[in-house]
Order: sequence, then C-alpha cells, then structure tokens
Amino acid sequence: MSYELLLYALMPDLFVVVGIFLALGLDYTWLRGRGIEDRNRVVARVATWSLLLGLGAMAQVDFAGINVGEGQLIYTQTSITLKALVFVLAAVVVELCARVNICRHVSEFYALLLLSTLGMGLVITGGNLLSAFVALELTSLSLYAMTALWQHRRASAEAALKYLAFGGVSAAFLLFGLSYLYGATGTLELVRITQYVAAQSELPPLIVLAYVFILIGIGFKIALAPFHFWAPDVYQNAPTPAAAWVASGSKIAAVVLLINLLAPAFGDNPAPRIALGTALAALAVLSMVWGNLAALRQTNLKRLLAYSAVANAGYLLVGLVAFTPVGRASVLFFALVYSLASIGAFGIVSLLADRLDRDAEIDDFRGCWKTMPILSGLFFVFVLSMASIPPLAGFVGKFYLFYAAIGSQPDVAGWSEGWYWLVGLALVMSVVSLYYYLKILKPFLVFEPAGAPLERPANAASATAALAVLAMLIVIMGVYPQPFIDIFRSMG
Amino acid sequence: MTALLTILLSFAGAAVCGLMRPRDHRQIRWVALGTSIAGLAVALFCWQRYEAEGGIADLVDIPWIPEMGVSFLTGYDGISLPLLLVTGLVAVCGVLFTWDLKERANEFYAYFLTLIGGVYGVFLSLDLFLLFVFYEIAVVPKYFLIANWGGERREFAAMKLVLYSFAGSALVLLGLLAVYFAAGVESFSLVDLGHLTERERFTPGFQAIVFPILFVGFAILAGMWPFHTWAPTGHVAAPTAASMLLAGVVMKLGAYGCLRVAVGLLPAGAQVWAPLIAVVAIVNIGYGALVALRQNDFKYVIGYSSVSHMGFVLLGIATLHEVGMTGAVLQMFSHGVIGAVLFAMVGTVIYSRTRSRKLDEFNGLIDRMPGIAWVFVIAGLASMGLPGFSGFISELYVLIGVWKSDYLTGHKGWVLVGAGLGILLTFGYTLVKIHEAFFGVRHPDGNGAPLKPYKPMTTPEIIGCAILLGASLLIGLFPQLLTGVIGPSVEIIINRLPG
Repeated sequence: MSYELLLYALMPDLFVVVGIFLALGLDYTWLRGRGIEDRNRVVARVATWSLLLGLGAMAQVDFAGINVGEGQLIYTQTSITLKALVFVLAAVVVELCARVNICRHVSEFYALLLLSTLGMGLVITGGNLLSAFVALELTSLSLYAMTALWQHRRASAEAALKYLAFGGVSAAFLLFGLSYLYGATGTLELVRITQYVAAQSELPPLIVLAYVFILIGIGFKIALAPFHFWAPDVYQNAPTPAAAWVASGSKIAAVVLLINLLAPAFGDNPAPRIALGTALAALAVLSMVWGNLAALRQTNLKRLLAYSAVANAGYLLVGLVAFTPVGRASVLFFALVYSLASIGAFGIVSLLADRLDRDAEIDDFRGCWKTMPILSGLFFVFVLSMASIPPLAGFVGKFYLFYAAIGSQPDVAGWSEGWYWLVGLALVMSVVSLYYYLKILKPFLVFEPAGAPLERPANAASATAALAVLAMLIVIMGVYPQPFIDIFRSMG
Repeated sequence: MTALLTILLSFAGAAVCGLMRPRDHRQIRWVALGTSIAGLAVALFCWQRYEAEGGIADLVDIPWIPEMGVSFLTGYDGISLPLLLVTGLVAVCGVLFTWDLKERANEFYAYFLTLIGGVYGVFLSLDLFLLFVFYEIAVVPKYFLIANWGGERREFAAMKLVLYSFAGSALVLLGLLAVYFAAGVESFSLVDLGHLTERERFTPGFQAIVFPILFVGFAILAGMWPFHTWAPTGHVAAPTAASMLLAGVVMKLGAYGCLRVAVGLLPAGAQVWAPLIAVVAIVNIGYGALVALRQNDFKYVIGYSSVSHMGFVLLGIATLHEVGMTGAVLQMFSHGVIGAVLFAMVGTVIYSRTRSRKLDEFNGLIDRMPGIAWVFVIAGLASMGLPGFSGFISELYVLIGVWKSDYLTGHKGWVLVGAGLGILLTFGYTLVKIHEAFFGVRHPDGNGAPLKPYKPMTTPEIIGCAILLGASLLIGLFPQLLTGVIGPSVEIIINRLPG
C-alpha cells in the first residue's frame, strides 16, 4: 500500500473533508458577525459543492479492484454506486437545511452532516471489522449531535440524549460482537472471516454468540423492533432534515454493514444460515407487526413515519432471510427506495411545518392541495411508494424482497418450510399499513382546510426541485428497475 | 400495438387533465370526453379486426425486468374484447353523466382516467406481474374519487373499499409467486404458464391449495359473498361516474382475474372447488337480491343488485363449461352496461332533481318526470333479464352451462333451482322498487296545489342512457356479435381441464 494509492482511493472523501474545514473556517472568520441567513446560505453552498466534487471524483476515478489495508477500503461497482447515492441524498438534505435556520451554530450543523456522510461512505466501502465500526460510530456520533441542535425546542435535546444512550448501548453490543468474531477467527478482514466460517462443518458457539450481539447492535441502528424505542422520539423531535437523514442515509449504511457482516452466511456452508435465518425472521415478524400496529394510532406525522420506518426495517429482513445473492440485491434495492421516499416525505414536512412554533399534527396539513398542489403531488408519490403502490419503486422493491424470500426455497411440503408464511404476514401487514398511509395522504389531498391552510413556503424553489428529483428517481426505479438491480446483483 | 393505445391515451389524458387549471372545467371535461371516446374507438377497432379464432391478437412483448422474468406482454383475445368494449362504453358515459362537475374537475378527471387506463391495462396484460401492476393502479384512484367527491360516509366507504381490494391483491400476489416458482421457467407470462398448464406442470395437489388463494383474492373485487360488503357501501358513497366504473368495470377486474388467472392456470384446482364456488355464487345471487328488496335508499338497491348480478358471473365460471363461461363473460359485459346506467339514473339523473335517494321520500315521480321514469323502467327491465336485452342471453347461457356442467354433479339440481329462484327474486325486487320509486305515494303537498314537474333529461344524459341501453339491446338482439368471439377463447381455457 502506498500513500499515493490511499490518497487516490480517498479522493471523494477528501473533498468532503476539505468542505468541512472550509465551512467551519469561513463561518468563524469571514462570515463572523453576518446575519444567520447569510451564513446559512454560504455554508450550505460550500457543503453542496464539496459533495458534488466528491461525486465528480467518484465518476472520474477508476476504482476497479482497489482494496486498501486488509479490506479497509474495498471498491466494487455496488459499493461505489451506493456511496454515490448516499452523497446525492446528503446533497438533498443540505438543500432542505439551507432554507430553515435550525440553530445559531450554522457551520457546525453542516460539518456534522458532512462528517456523517463521510462515515456512511466509509461503512459502505469497508470490508474490515475495525474500520467499519469506527466509520459507523463516526456516523452515529454526528447524528446524535445533529439531533440535539434544534436549539429552540427542548424536546430536541431530550431526544438526542435518548438517542445517545440507546446508541451507546448498541455500539457496545456491536463492538462486543465484533470482538468475539475477531477472537473466534483471528482476523479483522471480512473476506478471511468468511473463508474461516466456510471451512467449519459446525458453527463454533462463539461465532453464534458474536452474531447475536451484532444483530442486537445493528438492530438498534436500523430501528428493528424491539430495539426501536429511540426512533419515534428522534424522528419527531430532531430537526426535520436531520430526521430525514437518520431515516435514510444512516439506514443504508447500517444495512450495508449488516449485509457485509452476514457474508459468511452467503457461502456454501449451510450451518450459519439456519440459525441466523430464524433469528432474522423473528426480528422481521416483530418489527412488521409492532411498527405497523403502533403506526395506526399516531397523530403526529413524523412519529408515524418513525413507526413506519420500524415496519419497513422488518420488510427489509424478509429479503435477507433467504441468504441468496438475489435476496442481498433486493434488500439493497429496497433500502435505497425506502430512503428516497423517506427523505422526500420528511422534506415535505420540513418545508411546510418547520416554521410553525409547535409540533405539526397530521391535521395541520389539511387543504394543502389547494395552496400547494406541486408539493402535495410530490408527497403523494413518496407516500404511495412507501405504501408499495405500483408503478412506483416501493412496489418493485417489496415485490423483489418477497420474490427473493420465496425463491430461495420454493418447494414446500408444509407451512413450516420455506418463507411463504413470512411473505404472507408481510403482505397482511402491508394491507394494514395502507390504512395509515392513506390517513396521512387524506389531509394533503382530500380535506378542505379547517381555518386557514398552511401557507406556501417562501424561497422553496431549490428544495422543491431537489424533492422533485427524488420523486423522479422513485418513478424511474419503479418503471425501469433493471439497471439498478443489475448494479446490486453484481455485489459479492 | 393498436390496443395499447387505450392505455396510453387514458394515462396521457389523465396527465393533461391533471395539469390543467381547476377553473377550466369546461375544457377539462372535453379533454376527458375526447380521451374516453378515443379509447372506445380503439376498443371497437380491435373488436372489428379480431379474427384470431380464440387466440391472442396484437401481441406486444418487450422485456422489462429480466431479473425476475417479467416482460411487458400485452394482447387481447375473445375474453378481453367484450371487457375492453364495456370499459370504453362506461368511460364515455361516466364523463357524460358527470358533465356538470365543477369542483376540482382537473383532479377528478385525472383520477378517473388513471383508473380507466389501469382497467384497460388489466384486460390487456398477458404477464402476471404487469396484470398485478395495472390491477393496483386501478385501485388507488378509487379511494380518492370516493373520498373527495363522494356522498355521505365517503371516507369510511373509500377506506373500506381500498382495504378490501388490497387484502384481495395480497392474496393474489402470494398466489402469483407460488405459481411462478412452481412453474420454474422464470416467466410471469400467461402464455408460457398456460402452455405449462396444458402440459400438466402443476400437480393437482398444488393446484388445490393455490387455486382458492388466487380465486378468493380476485373474487373479493368481484363482490363474492361474504367479502362483498365493500361493494354496496363503496357504490353508494361514490360519485356517479365512480360508481358507474365500480359496478360496471372494476368488479369485472376481479371476475376477469378469476377466469383468466385462477381457472386459466389452475384448472384442476378449479375442478376441486367448483361445487363450492357454485354454492357461494347462488348465495350471492339470492342474498344480494333479498337485501336489495329490503333497502329504502335507492342507491343501495342498485348496489346490492350488483352483488346479485355478479353471482351469475361466478356461477358461470364455476360451471367450467364452455356455454356457462361464455355466459359469465357475457354477463360481465351485460352487467357492466346495465349496472352503469342504473347507477347513472339513480345517482345523477334522479338525485340531481329530487335531491333525495330515499324511496319513501319520492313523491309522484311518474307524473313529475315521466320521461326519466320510463327510461328507468326500461333499464330495470334490462336488469331483470327481459328477452331482447343482453342480460337475458347471459343468464340463459349461465343456466344452460349449469345444466351441461360436468363438475357440479350431486347438487346440480339445487344449483339450478337456486339460480332460478334468484332470477325470480330479481324480478321481484326490481318491480317492487320501480313501483315504490315511481308509482308509489302520490299525495299533493300541503296546500293542495299540484306538484311541479322536474326538468327533463339533459342532452348528455340522454346520449349516455342511449349508448348504454343501446349496447345492451344490441347484444340482446344479436348475441352472436360477442359470443362469437368469446366462445373460442373460453374453449382454450376449457381444453386445459384435465380428464
């Protein structure tokens, strides 16, 4: 390994690092004493440009086959694509932040956002236990701080503390699991761990224990029931763009890490599949049922979206229980599609309701169709995609998950074999979820306003454009998903 | 490619309407009318050109998601043709009977035409995935049509309808995946899977398990008892154009899926379950008719009569005999046009004048709206299955099918008696309700002055009624026009039955 190669491989990340220092530096020197609007505008541009330059670097540089430092950076077509998409999503979140003045610490907020993006990118490209853990914690720590930064809302700090406490415990579990894995196999490199497990006829108990801890740790991060208790508070009380980021980017990163860590189960050795498959199925059932039923009775839109996120994390595992390459691709596809819709939905809420001095309830959005048909239409697309209505990407994503789950074991003699029962439950829960998705669409598209409707947000053109890009992506991925599937299928 | 124009035009029309300004409602309705007439014209053109002897015409095959063996595969045969026609007819008339709509007209017609496009799509799809996609596209607009422009209890009715529909489609999705993986050819194509059925790729045991999943999934949308309860509430709460579509077309989506997918791919399963389906169909006919007899809300009468009439469709499918299944498809067409005209009369023509749908509040309608009353009587006669109208032919076919069926042994006689009683009940409630509505109470209002007549039918209303009743009469007098194309296509499905 040479420094030259390292710099070359880290080029996209370096742009982001420069962006972080530039943002902080400008804010502390040149922008000192300026109004908060000015500072916000300039710093947001810096953040956007650093992300765009990072994206440009990813497009320009030939990363094929780069593997730095025992798998600490592994570039494949899949990982590059995912990293690029995370950067794109981050740029959309910047666009959302740029038009609300969340706090006085403008540059710190953007720096944290960029830091978390950096962490997510490194998780995605990491093939080494240590680097992946460090990168994931970089992401998480930035997100805790971002959650707390809605300074004029007390609940924001409370949610952040809750997030930090839960997150700290989960990190401990994860680290414990990873250290057991290291202890059992003697290596930090995932490829070698996979080789080691493949050679065992029976799974050593230590490794089973390791995976139990890992599942608990990552279960916290992707808000799987019963490890989801932080999610409703954080989603509701974090600054809305930060909540969008927690719901999307961090989820993609954690899912990729989960898939990477589960690599041994994808091998020829069936031993890990049986134990892990059952555990994942149990988590999936719990998350789908808990998330969907709890969402039914929410009246706060962001809180409802949090429970829907729990449910969606459950669906995600349905594709994973199969431990097939198809299943892996379906999980990545679904995670991406869900993230797009999530950022979209939170983005709309941020545009419409962040200027209110209180928490927006679902009924506050009554009559939006009248005052802002375009934003209502975009919200329609995002929510229907979450509700998996064709021809939107959410439908293809969910269908692909089910396809993968059943396809891994299609011949069944009884109901206990195969995954028909799990898919059946997921389908029932999807019908349940339709109730609350329609419930949140109703005020936007059906009801007459009660009193004065929300006013059209000022200077929202660029944020609306960013959301429109997301909606277009959702439509394109729904109507023509094959190219995206191809990318995810090439993994591993 | 011609037939695809129906879908493309409808979606394009929906987009255009959606982008227009609400206050341009006059222009919007012309766009909607033009779009639906163009769709009908394409359907008529396909019908006129169809000479494939039961086979598939106008096949379009574009790979779509090769990963899952999904292709964009469309075409039509003798079973889809009558349904394309009825979709076109009801769409045109739906616009005509909503001619005065002003409130949020752009959104209304955007949903309306999206629904139409989805329905055309289902009838043209030859790929199970594609069929499912269009099936769901057709469901979502219904929610907004009812919740936005509906009558009393519209949110409840809309939600109930959508949840029932999606529960059905969840079953369908599970069934589709089971069939796909049992076939093991990585293809959702109905053509490929149909060939496998002919080669007995699906074991009888598998078929017996998966058939009811698929059949019930689709039959929920067809209004099969005991899953029919969404239908009357949905029909009643819906605005006129939407209830015309619901009764006329959307319920047919379910029946079409039962016939094309469930019976078409899993005939051995159908054999096992046919006797039970026949019994349920009889319950549908009789229960729907009896409940209709007890209603005071005129729209509920029509709503339950739809449930009753769909029983004949299910019964025809359950015969698994060429004549009976031809009758089922014919009944889909027939009820499509007649159900639509009944809902139009009750929901728009009469309601807009009397401002009431309660039978006991109607007062001397035969004197105050004689023209409308007689049109309704004609529609009622058509609904009863009077000879000369399409309903007569289709119910006759179904009954002959029951008689000839090889699979209803044991209780064939009872089924026939039940169906016969059902027809009598239909006569009964139709006549009773027509009497109550038009020829019932006739007392002058308080000061003894004669009641003022209502204004006569408007031109769009007259054209709409003429189109729908004319279609029913045409097929009633010349059934060969449709049975000639339906028969050979049904035969292909019948030939897949083992033994």
